[in-house]
Amino acid sequence: MKIVVSDLSVHYGDKQVLDDINLEIDHGLWTCLVGPNGAGKTTFLKVLLGMASYAGSIQDHGREIFRDHSRNVAFVPQQPQIPQGMNVAEYVSLGRAKIDGFGKESSKSREYIYTILQHTKLLGMQHNLMTHLSGGEMQRALIARALVQEPELILLDEPTSALDLHHQISVLNDLEVLKEKGVTIISTMHDITLAAMYADRIIVMQHGKILLSGTADQVIHSSELRTAFENRIDVYTLDSGRPVIVASKEIHSREEE
Amino acid sequence: MVRSDSVARIWDWKITATCFAVLVLVALIAVSFGPVSIHFPRILRTLFDISGGATDQERTVILQLRLPRIILGALVGAALATSGAVYQTVFHNPLADPYLLGAASGAGLGATIALTSTHHNVYGLLPIFSFMGGVLAVLTSFFISGKFFAEPNSLLLSGIAVGSFATAVQTYLQQRHTDQLRPVYSWILGDLTSASWDVVLWSALYIGIALVILFSVAKQLDGLMLSDEEAFSLGVNPNTLRILAVAAATLATATAVSASGLIGFVGIVVPHLVKGLTHRVTNRSLVSVALVGAAFLVIADLGARTLLSPAELPIGVITAFVGAPFFLIVLRSRRKVATS
Repeated sequence: MKIVVSDLSVHYGDKQVLDDINLEIDHGLWTCLVGPNGAGKTTFLKVLLGMASYAGSIQDHGREIFRDHSRNVAFVPQQPQIPQGMNVAEYVSLGRAKIDGFGKESSKSREYIYTILQHTKLLGMQHNLMTHLSGGEMQRALIARALVQEPELILLDEPTSALDLHHQISVLNDLEVLKEKGVTIISTMHDITLAAMYADRIIVMQHGKILLSGTADQVIHSSELRTAFENRIDVYTLDSGRPVIVASKEIHSREEE
Repeated sequence: MVRSDSVARIWDWKITATCFAVLVLVALIAVSFGPVSIHFPRILRTLFDISGGATDQERTVILQLRLPRIILGALVGAALATSGAVYQTVFHNPLADPYLLGAASGAGLGATIALTSTHHNVYGLLPIFSFMGGVLAVLTSFFISGKFFAEPNSLLLSGIAVGSFATAVQTYLQQRHTDQLRPVYSWILGDLTSASWDVVLWSALYIGIALVILFSVAKQLDGLMLSDEEAFSLGVNPNTLRILAVAAATLATATAVSASGLIGFVGIVVPHLVKGLTHRVTNRSLVSVALVGAAFLVIADLGARTLLSPAELPIGVITAFVGAPFFLIVLRSRRKVATS
């Protein structure tokens, strides 16, 4: 199955945020949106949720997604709204609201929330207030809340940007396990090296357009990637064959010339 | 955690039942005390029409003076406390209350316009005028703050500005209509002395509608504690829910203001008190918030009637006396969380 995006455009007032996007996204894979700030990645993610309005068409399982509450999609925002006075268990269990209804909790849900808390290493701190969590714990709680939804598709906006390298890897490994269980993942990511390590498909965006899309290998070694970042990146290949993308320092390259 | 534990700490009927019992007890005490004291058994006998009740004179005191006043106080307290809790949830701000958003001042201006523009008895129309004033003030606050719901703090600041402006216009109107100054002024200070069965009836109607709406969406308000995208993914339409909740809370506030004048701080004190006692986010115990709000205002009014007896203190003075220090405590504990 695929999510089919055709002639998609989004305007905020006069500003065109997404411009004539045509694309297919495979279910069961991890697709990563990369590109400079302001490229329209977050907007694209929100549109894929079905909440923001758009021109054109996005079809998931053959149905237009706008305001379609029957889809089971979870969203992990970059800047979360942290509920005052809620503890971790309460926060995470909110994810069951669509299944059980708000203010209700089935015994099956209770079991499932427990399993997810354990899996995301939040067990033991489930009675801590959300406002007292560290950055890494917070990100785990956000993802845990999305996971208890048992989503078919999970959208994550910069899931690793607030984390140190150790926590980045741990979050990404968890998502990889999730993908192996059949969940479709679409995320935005600043770090192209990490994106190349984990994602099956990479979509490079710039100025609201899709510059290129393909497998990680295809995208990393293409010249369009450099164009997207105005030739300010260098791609190296490690002995293991893994690509590493770093910012290039213009002054150095001029001296070498 | 034991696996059978409820993880979500959802609604608990025992807490609500306790709050209801407290309200009934407080109401009985309030009927009993005053310039004329009447014993509990006689009040109960009178209310349930059993022989051996109060004398005719006491009956008049109970049924025409004290009872409508206590019921009105309970309605106003429930309205202010519930809408305070809802504003706090919707605007993600523990210090939001009907007064800080300009809703109450706007409602006050609406009511003043109604009182000063005619010499006829306009009490039945006061809720409509003050509702329009309240809604207008809240809408103005929204537009000045720029983005709907996006910037809770700038919304509160513009609410304060709009509130001050409404109060200024209201003062101007009072001074222009000095013949009407006294009723307007005593109404502004907040009192329940105007309570009659008429006022109780129309207040109960509007506040009842507002509270039914708020109680029915209370659980879904959980969704508004998350980001809009997360709320949507859980089946909530965040903007529709917000508009409904704010409209209902504004109707409750406006009715309370038109029935009893400006009684401050109930909307902050009570939700935080209930939160502290139940350890639940307030929208999960909204019925308890309403019951405690009702009890709080009935006690405050008992104080207003009896502290300087036979003279009366404005009830707003009592709620501010308790509420202002409480507000500072909440502010301080919040700053501690923010800096830790």
